Amino acid sequence: MPSRKAIEPAAAWTELVVTDADWDAAPAELLTAMLSQLVLIRTFEEFVLDLAAKGLIHGPAHSSIGQEGGAVGSCISLTSADTVNGSHRGHHQFLAKVLTHLHPDGIDPTKPVPDDVRDALLRTLREICGLDRGFSHGRGGSMHLQWNEAGAIGTNAIVGGGVPLAAGSAWAHKHAGTDAVAVSYFGDGAINIGSVLETFNLAAAWSLPLCFFVENNQYAVSTHIAEVTAETRLSGRGPGFGIRSWKVDGMDPLAVHLAMREALEHLRSGQGPALIEAEVYRYFHQNGPFPGSAFRYRTKEEEREWRRRDPLDTTARHIVRRGILAQDDVAGCIEQAKALMAELGEVILEPKPGGKPKEQRIKPEEWPDPGFVDEGVRGDLSELAGMTFTDLDNHPGEITESSFIGAIAGVLARRMETDPRVVVMGEDVHRLNGGTNGATRGLKERFPDRVLGTPISENAFAGLGGGLAMDGRFRPIVEFMYADFMWVAADQLFNQIGKARHMFGGTGKVPLVLRSKVAMGTGYGSQHSMDPAGVFATAPGWRIVAPSTPFDYIGLMNTALACDDPVMVLEHVDLYQSSGPNVPDDYDHYLPVGKAAVRRRGSAITIITYLAMTQHVLAAVEDVGIDAEVIDLRWLDRASLDWDTITASVQKTNTVLIAEQGARGTSYGGWLADEIQRRLFDWLDAPIERVTGGEASPSISKVLERAAVAGTEEVAAKLRQIAEV
Amino acid sequence: MPEILRMPEVAANTTEAVVSSWNVDLNTPYAAGEAIVTVETEKAAVDIEAETEGALLRLLADEGQTVAVGSPIAVWGSPGETPDAVDALVATLDLPTGITTGAGSDDERRAEAVPAESAVADRGAGAASPANGGRIFASPIARKLAAEAGLDLAAVVGTGPNQSIRRRDVEAALAAARSAEAAAGGPDAAASPSSDHAVEPATAGAEFEDVPISRMRQAVARRLVDSKHSAPHFYLRGTVRVDRLLDVRRELNDGTQAAISLNDLVVKAVAVAHSRVPGLNVRWNGDSVRQYRQADIAVAVATEHGLVTPVVRGVDTMPIGTLAERTRDLIRRAHDRRLRQHELEGGSITVTNLGMFGTEEFAAIINPPHAAILAVGAASRQPHVVDGELGVATIMRMCLSVDHRPVDGVTAAEWMRELTGIIEHPLQILA
Repeated sequence: MPSRKAIEPAAAWTELVVTDADWDAAPAELLTAMLSQLVLIRTFEEFVLDLAAKGLIHGPAHSSIGQEGGAVGSCISLTSADTVNGSHRGHHQFLAKVLTHLHPDGIDPTKPVPDDVRDALLRTLREICGLDRGFSHGRGGSMHLQWNEAGAIGTNAIVGGGVPLAAGSAWAHKHAGTDAVAVSYFGDGAINIGSVLETFNLAAAWSLPLCFFVENNQYAVSTHIAEVTAETRLSGRGPGFGIRSWKVDGMDPLAVHLAMREALEHLRSGQGPALIEAEVYRYFHQNGPFPGSAFRYRTKEEEREWRRRDPLDTTARHIVRRGILAQDDVAGCIEQAKALMAELGEVILEPKPGGKPKEQRIKPEEWPDPGFVDEGVRGDLSELAGMTFTDLDNHPGEITESSFIGAIAGVLARRMETDPRVVVMGEDVHRLNGGTNGATRGLKERFPDRVLGTPISENAFAGLGGGLAMDGRFRPIVEFMYADFMWVAADQLFNQIGKARHMFGGTGKVPLVLRSKVAMGTGYGSQHSMDPAGVFATAPGWRIVAPSTPFDYIGLMNTALACDDPVMVLEHVDLYQSSGPNVPDDYDHYLPVGKAAVRRRGSAITIITYLAMTQHVLAAVEDVGIDAEVIDLRWLDRASLDWDTITASVQKTNTVLIAEQGARGTSYGGWLADEIQRRLFDWLDAPIERVTGGEASPSISKVLERAAVAGTEEVAAKLRQIAEV
Repeated sequence: MPEILRMPEVAANTTEAVVSSWNVDLNTPYAAGEAIVTVETEKAAVDIEAETEGALLRLLADEGQTVAVGSPIAVWGSPGETPDAVDALVATLDLPTGITTGAGSDDERRAEAVPAESAVADRGAGAASPANGGRIFASPIARKLAAEAGLDLAAVVGTGPNQSIRRRDVEAALAAARSAEAAAGGPDAAASPSSDHAVEPATAGAEFEDVPISRMRQAVARRLVDSKHSAPHFYLRGTVRVDRLLDVRRELNDGTQAAISLNDLVVKAVAVAHSRVPGLNVRWNGDSVRQYRQADIAVAVATEHGLVTPVVRGVDTMPIGTLAERTRDLIRRAHDRRLRQHELEGGSITVTNLGMFGTEEFAAIINPPHAAILAVGAASRQPHVVDGELGVATIMRMCLSVDHRPVDGVTAAEWMRELTGIIEHPLQILA
């Protein structure tokens, strides 16, 4: 007969409930400060909905009216050093953080609204309307509100997408030696998405000062929480990951404040992450000025019930009850806020010429210049100004042959040694004598706090790296054991890291280096054998480097680490065991951005290639005996491509072959062929030819794998075919 | 049993050749060794001889058609074979409606195959075939170069896939146009920039005719353009007195059948100069310089089909009589288009002579991969100063064009001094 005993989760899970006694005990300044924020946020959002109803907001306006208690209660005790991010429904959190940043001691509801608050509200309104003088020049709008100075590091339109980024911010707080915390706000709809759950685990494993703040408003658009999860008490997710968790009535700002106070104590004392579930209710539908009941997924009665617990009314009631303010003071505060919003409306709106009476439009001068559309997709590289760049032909020091893998471990060690900001993370990078290939050999022993073996959670640790890079205090190097994992982490790599700079106005820095390993030829099959360059080349925020020699690896890695843009460093397993030209023991040289290497001069044909394919191409050229010019691109992204070298070569040879190893579908050369034919059409004597792998991803079977990948023989066959005609 | 006759590989690394002429009639017996078909490459026309007796039963390629090496061109066998047997054999070849002109056998190549009739028609210049909707296929750079030179693409023969016009074809056409002007424009006029010599576009009803050019003409044009582009030329001019040379020639020819020409003596003198200054007996390999151990000398022969340069080998060790005989044979077969491919390859220098036309002096373009070409003018009686005294002598002017990549000026000058000395002291030629 087996015996059974109950198991308790290691982390506590509690519900915090307040009574009138707690309201009586709360400092009057806290309550009036909360009231000011609640009124300003509510009034602001009502004005936004009014604009939306008039068709003056382009895109969705996700109001949080009804949910302000959670945001105000949790933000009011944060410092400006603390950071918050949020989701598509983030006006209230953003404004609460901004108002607390501007007036940490609270805004007096009986006094005129301070000018700095007026300016911040106007700037926020402009951003939501998509106007030039918004925080991000109108690029981000309602769903991407960022003001780093205030610690508002950016709201996010991908459900759960911002949560891994907040973990990066928390990591930076902790390892910079501060007691600051990060708070990531998200809703019940995000509680079941992978990046959130992965981040729960990662933050707990690494004991990060990260507060997961779940606003449980019960509806993911129209889908009720009970329809999509069995455990509707969402704070129950925390203990399973070892996270201290609280449940609290989010309609009660004081309850939230008290729960947050406990959580902050936990967070600031280094005990790891916290989870707070605040039960809230949005009065309106997902977006726009109509209640959810109008869409028939809930009843008017239910809405009435929740409105009775309105956070603004509750706070005002206690303040009047305690005699801190009179009812008229509260009404005056609200009137003043409405007048302010009307005044802000006058700033950006004007009567529509030829429109109906009272019809308005955005003042034309408020819009951004259309020419701004692509500005700031990436940095201007001014951070590299004044640096000395050398290449093999002008580098002082003796060039000898040395091992490729040694160059990786060597340059990583050297940079970690000279730059305390450099952090290395990835699966098994800390073990196995330098990860699965020895690329991080010796690093864990020398830099134990900055070499991080991660869980198998590419979304979480890629996103953590992204958040760390955007924070600016560290320069993360994230390793993907196989390039194919980019699909797993696609949201973080492409929606977040790749777009962040542009989306938030075109000035932010994202100094992340992603080391991504191409394992074609190792028999790891269909899901581990891709070349990611073609896909990354479609994401304009990314720079891509492809070193084919040890010297290039060191020079490109150093430049990548110095660059303020995200850079993917392509690695190929065939190169790891190779050797090539290098300057021994010199790990401090830099290759210039956007300079290709001509590996062979010739006049018959221009062959453009990169990474491990370079050697295959050179071998094929010798084999066929054609006088080809072989260009090893080194920099593959659209912005860093060496058009000078390509143009000069094509004008000489009039014939182009783009050679790469990987499968055709995700291959790199398509866009390049397109660009070449448009830039250099009149110089071409033949269609641009390409060598790629097959259609399907390479298989496990050695014979099939070889047949799926292009190599020396495929290039040689193509060259012979070209020579024939 | 009928058998397939395939296009032979006439010279190493040629991928295709043109069926120049069928020399025997269908179903007419021929003997072993009889030349049944003539095929033409860029460099030579070659007779294909029958290995055994037989008869041609069916032709799979028309005269003028370009055929990939290894592709079927005819069915042969004994004259009595039934048509069914021939059909059965042809069916196994899996030919498209016409005959493929490409080299490969994959789908794309097959898709490019052009029916035999239109392939023949397309070979004419400016052939915008109806199948192409009247469009002339030409690469972008070919169109650009042609537009810059004012050249009408309708007058250019395309050698690319689908008879498309490639850069080389435009360059050949421009070179041909330049040669024509060079003939009228004096020495080395061919070196003038192309844009100065725009070719008038051909229009219907113009007062001229654009004559299609042969592959040999094309090849000559292309090679000369290549030479001018890739080999940096420099020129040395010399004047020699040839009275004694003419005396020696008279003596040699007196009472013999030999008929040694002045040019033969010059060629022999070049061989002697080569053995004294081997630095000119070289060629440029790109990454090395090839030093020859014997003197192989090409002689330029103008034929009605184009310029050819057969090579006389071992001139340094060859008696003058043999040289004359060998050269005469090569010239005769050049006119008959019966030179073999190997006879057109090798050597380090060409001797070209327009003296018989009375040309006093000219500069020539090096015939790649040679290092030099010696242009010889006419020998004529002219005023001549010897030891301060004005007299009359027979003078001949020569111009040596040299590829500067393997040869420096001093080497060439030494060589020229030797050559002059040898010609003026002709017994050294015979020594």
